[in-house]
Amino acid sequence: MNSKYFYKSALALAVLGLAACKPSVNTTVPSKGTADFTRYIAVGNSLTSGFADGGLYLDGQKNCFPGMIAEQMKTVGGGSFTTPFFADNQANGSGYLKLTGFNANGTPQTTKETSNLAYRPGSTTFFTRYSGDINNYGVPGIKLIHSTIAGYGTLNPYYERMLTDATLTTPYLNFVTSKPFTFFSMWLGNNDILGYATSGGAGDTPTDKALFTQVYNLVVSQLVKGGTGGNGAKGVVATIPDVTATAFFRTVTLKSILAAVNASPGGAGVTDLYIKPGTGAARKATAEDLFTLTLLSDRTIGKPDATGPYGLAPTNPIENQYVLDKDEVAVVNDYVASYNATIRSVASAYNLALMDANAMLKEYGAGKEVNGALVSGAFITGNLFSLDGIHLTPMGYAITANGFINAINAKYGSSIPIVDVTKYRGVKFP
Amino acid sequence: MKKILLSVLLAVPVWGFSQSFQVNLQGQKQTAMGGAGTGVAMDEAAVFFNPGAVSFLKQNGVQGGVNGIILKTSFSQAGSNITEHNQNKLPTPFAAYAVFGSPQNRLRFGLGVYTPFGGAMHWDTNWTGKYTVTSLDLQAVYIQPTLSLKITDNIGIGGGVVYSLGKVDLRRAIPITLNNGESSTAQLKGTSKDFGWNAGIYINTLSGVTIGISHRSKINATVDNGDANFVVPDALKPTFPTKFNAQLPLPATSTIGFGFYPSDKTTIALDVNWVQWHVYKDLAFDYDNNTRIPDTKSPRNYHDAATFRLGIENKVSSIVALRAGVGYALTPVGDGYVTPEVPDANRLLLSAGIGFKPSERFGVDFSFLYENVKSRSGTNIETGLNGTFKTVAFIPGVALSYKF
Repeated sequence: MNSKYFYKSALALAVLGLAACKPSVNTTVPSKGTADFTRYIAVGNSLTSGFADGGLYLDGQKNCFPGMIAEQMKTVGGGSFTTPFFADNQANGSGYLKLTGFNANGTPQTTKETSNLAYRPGSTTFFTRYSGDINNYGVPGIKLIHSTIAGYGTLNPYYERMLTDATLTTPYLNFVTSKPFTFFSMWLGNNDILGYATSGGAGDTPTDKALFTQVYNLVVSQLVKGGTGGNGAKGVVATIPDVTATAFFRTVTLKSILAAVNASPGGAGVTDLYIKPGTGAARKATAEDLFTLTLLSDRTIGKPDATGPYGLAPTNPIENQYVLDKDEVAVVNDYVASYNATIRSVASAYNLALMDANAMLKEYGAGKEVNGALVSGAFITGNLFSLDGIHLTPMGYAITANGFINAINAKYGSSIPIVDVTKYRGVKFP
Repeated sequence: MKKILLSVLLAVPVWGFSQSFQVNLQGQKQTAMGGAGTGVAMDEAAVFFNPGAVSFLKQNGVQGGVNGIILKTSFSQAGSNITEHNQNKLPTPFAAYAVFGSPQNRLRFGLGVYTPFGGAMHWDTNWTGKYTVTSLDLQAVYIQPTLSLKITDNIGIGGGVVYSLGKVDLRRAIPITLNNGESSTAQLKGTSKDFGWNAGIYINTLSGVTIGISHRSKINATVDNGDANFVVPDALKPTFPTKFNAQLPLPATSTIGFGFYPSDKTTIALDVNWVQWHVYKDLAFDYDNNTRIPDTKSPRNYHDAATFRLGIENKVSSIVALRAGVGYALTPVGDGYVTPEVPDANRLLLSAGIGFKPSERFGVDFSFLYENVKSRSGTNIETGLNGTFKTVAFIPGVALSYKF
């Protein structure tokens, strides 16, 4: 071996050594603070279940925010976390909306996925039951006040699929607390106002404010016990977003409808739409009256019948169920404010972390750059709302997961690392 | 040797510079001396460092050199426990010079071909900042014919026209989800051809100290009709551009340099560069189809910044010269404007080198430059990308020269 060979080898080693030497940066050091994340359970409704695009399906479940939080909790002692997934051969669950294209005027075309659904043979309501461990108890459609009702499982197929014949009549609250847990997230209450809002004030009534307060206190007082056999749990609760600010109510507007009518044959001179408000006679629509996302797929503005062109004559107004008129908007805002006051005060009374989902959705809905991606409340293009205009995209759920993580970290002095929002998608385009 | 080359190729990553996307690797001797060389008539690289000093070179010669830039950048998003690293690329900026004309004459000629700006920053295509940038390849090669005139025995002036050949390839993800669940992407690719100039004055003072002042002009690298390749959902394809225009200002640099000669064998060079980065106000793209996306104007708002360089050469024998240097570059990038393609911050430069002159005519010079860019945290005001960048660079280089 000569010295030349030695120098060559040394040089080669030096180059390899340098290339391997990556600079280090300070990162968040995961720590659990004063909380215990050993068994985390998620209590909530469709938002907790991963519901998206008007349905519950496997891809949405896989992108549910509790699953993301649990994955991050694993760095601070969190255990395994199970969402009751649909089976792979029934991956499309309840079915869901898919974007298939755009009309000439730019409005979206959607179709409903109907293959590989998870309904039980012979049923169009109930799903193949899920058996196995559950950490994510998110049940689409559930109201806060449903959580103490015995037999609710017979009414809600999403809850029913988690149950057995033996537990079929178990109230939701008892079901989720039947096993011990150390940490919980609870995001209930949205549906107590959502049904009223999305039906234009016509199809449901908001939960009474005092009843809401009573049940919210009851549910939280049970959850903090940590379940049957548990030693108490810490947790995080979340406020209710402003449903009138969702894409469901902000996509079809007076302005956009009028523009479409004006551009249609013979519609150039139209200046007013007529609506049937919740109370009182048909009247001209104002910019403060909100239209549902479903209006244009269900009805054709200007379509004539014996009473006049639809929506363009006081004798044939846009029906109540497609309009959240300004008085109804005020009702929604009033109830949401009241519910959120309750949520804040209960969180404070039980010393729980509070995720202000109302503020978060306001912030992102108004438009915010997230690592170079513009996120906004705009339907389809905003990356926040899925195709139903109310539930979130995976990216929206990732933003939500970080909202919860930040709230938990702030309350319990923990350092759960955040989720990389950039890794999650928005609405899929054809 | 093959194995060594292979390990070099396999091992190495990203870009080279001294300040933002300016590359300061224009001569191996000077690089080994902290990048200083404007106030000394050292070798043919004076064509770049100070055209005024070319007429003071004692011999004619040609030289050609190349560097390999091993750039290591790490990023961690605020609140995350994950560190992401840039990918391995090996940009190899080169510099070649020729000086001719009779050394006895007052007028000398020079030609330089060098790479004063460039970069090759590549991130994973699915990294946290993918919507800001996934890769940037940038290169500006300057070709500079030069005249240098010794107007007195102690004062030389010189200047050259610069013809700049630029190319850029910028890629990023677009936050529109394809049907397969992946992000859309954009690639902007183009070339530029522009003119500028370089001039300098070199003074041999009575005290023995030499002084040089040089100025390289700004060049607006203009990309006309570059290719905009958007991979977007089919339904949106017609609404996206296919061509773009853009301008990237390559800033003017003014330098004052000094040479000190404590002995026959020892040269000390001190340079201060002033780079007029304020011209880089924004990175703007003008697209041929604005149906879907407007023309973009990303604020950069760079400010002028200085670099200080100090180097020493000691000829330990007639054959061997040892060199070392140190430098400190102030960043032109303000808080809130740090971007992943140029995660700039103040940086420390340490260099060393060795030169061999086995014969009167032939020489070979090696340099090694280490750059340590300070760790920098913050939120970009345009993209909201919030985290910490840290960069180090290892830059070996070699040049061969022949005197005639």
